[in-house]
Amino acid sequence: MSTLETLQDILIDEFDLTRERVAPDVELAALGVDSLDLLELMFKIEDRYKLAIRDDVPSDLTTVQDVVRFIDRLLAAQSKSADSGGADRHAAT
Amino acid sequence: MAVTGLGVITPLGNSVEELCANLAAGHSGIRQLDIPRWEELRSPIGASAGFRGEAHFAAPRLRMLDRVSQMALVAAAQAVADASLNFGAEDRDRCGVSVGSGMGGAESTDEGYHIIYAERSDRVKPYTVLASMTNAAASWIGIDYGITGPNLTYSTACSSGAVAVGEAARRIQSGDVDVMLAGGAEAPLTFGVLRAWEAMRTIASPDPRDPGASCRPFARNRTGLVLGEGAAFVALEDWNHATGRGARIHAELTGYGLTTDTAHITRPTVEGQAGAMRAALKSARLGHGAVDYVNAHGTATLQNDAVETAAIKEVFGARAYALPVSSTKSMHGHLLGAAGALEFVIAVASMERGIVPPTRHLELPDPACDLDYVPERARTGVTLNAVMSNSFAFGGTNAVLIAEALGVRR
Repeated sequence: MSTLETLQDILIDEFDLTRERVAPDVELAALGVDSLDLLELMFKIEDRYKLAIRDDVPSDLTTVQDVVRFIDRLLAAQSKSADSGGADRHAAT
Repeated sequence: MAVTGLGVITPLGNSVEELCANLAAGHSGIRQLDIPRWEELRSPIGASAGFRGEAHFAAPRLRMLDRVSQMALVAAAQAVADASLNFGAEDRDRCGVSVGSGMGGAESTDEGYHIIYAERSDRVKPYTVLASMTNAAASWIGIDYGITGPNLTYSTACSSGAVAVGEAARRIQSGDVDVMLAGGAEAPLTFGVLRAWEAMRTIASPDPRDPGASCRPFARNRTGLVLGEGAAFVALEDWNHATGRGARIHAELTGYGLTTDTAHITRPTVEGQAGAMRAALKSARLGHGAVDYVNAHGTATLQNDAVETAAIKEVFGARAYALPVSSTKSMHGHLLGAAGALEFVIAVASMERGIVPPTRHLELPDPACDLDYVPERARTGVTLNAVMSNSFAFGGTNAVLIAEALGVRR
């Protein structure tokens, strides 16, 4: 399942929305998702992707696609650090 | 001051009609609590309301609202509908909201601390501050109706609701506003809150035969108060404003008295309570002979009931013995910051219906409490022209409200 689909599922579930409404270019505010809702949403995203987002949520996430890009960036960074972490472990042995 | 709308969420029903029917029948809303870890409580009883937020609010809204705000919004909406108020047609700068609450969003506070201290997690819900702040209920009501005049929250512990109603009346009296939605709300039935109250040794022991009979105001075998939850609201209007729009008027709010006990943070005084009753009578320009019913504070704590009895005798003299005084807390429990508003609604609704609600579970009289507490059975078919509602509090703020029936003065 793509990041977009996963996020759409969460939004549909948590904010009583239909699939048609959660298009990538739609603004979160138009869906009734305010900045605090977005922070709570990040808990679900952390769980789903085993990410630690914590205080790193940027304040300029406006559309659904913005959030998708943000998650994908974190996932890429996580897999990169996991790779280098693996290399370190090898070095230690 | 016209009372044009009433609304309630209570342990005895979620409409004024249902509440009055249960009071008249002497039913108790006190029960064994079904909350997490209840079995660890010394006294796992409370007066819970049959209220589910999910039935009134969609999930996204519900996330922002503590239970206390949910109940406040629904009770306020009842009062607005009952008053046939249309805020779209009002000058909303001349309308206001006045709410009493002792603990605000206690469930959200409890949950937040559980996440921080018990789960040792940093995943505190982003809405925790906004859900738990004491003025959240008042704010949401203002937002829902676009009420742009004063938005006030009073927190004077167990008299908060009465103070919120009385101060709202003062706002209208001052000429600043035409309409106030005033009331109280409390949702204290969480493990953490109940534990804290237990630690103070003021909570009643559960009656082993019937949990519903655990709160016994004015009785020799009273053991303390029972916490309850709910919300009660009134729509208050300037008299000419109400009659000008042809509103149906429940009663006239004529008296409000305030005094403060300073002897100790929990200890009530006869002088303080009597002073508040006298101040209310004075502001209503009534002699004590005019009052036909007193809805007592009557918490069923050892101290309060004896002191309140002495204070009533001091104010009403020999007439005190012929004056019906009842504590409906025997049935709906102690709603803390909502109690004063609920009991004012009960006093008004009882006057309209010609019913004096009883003090239940008063089988063994206390020699120190020797008034007519309307034991066990409601009196029906009585004429009540003026009713008094007493609310006293930890912290010492004593608030007394008086309402009069229509046509008594005019």
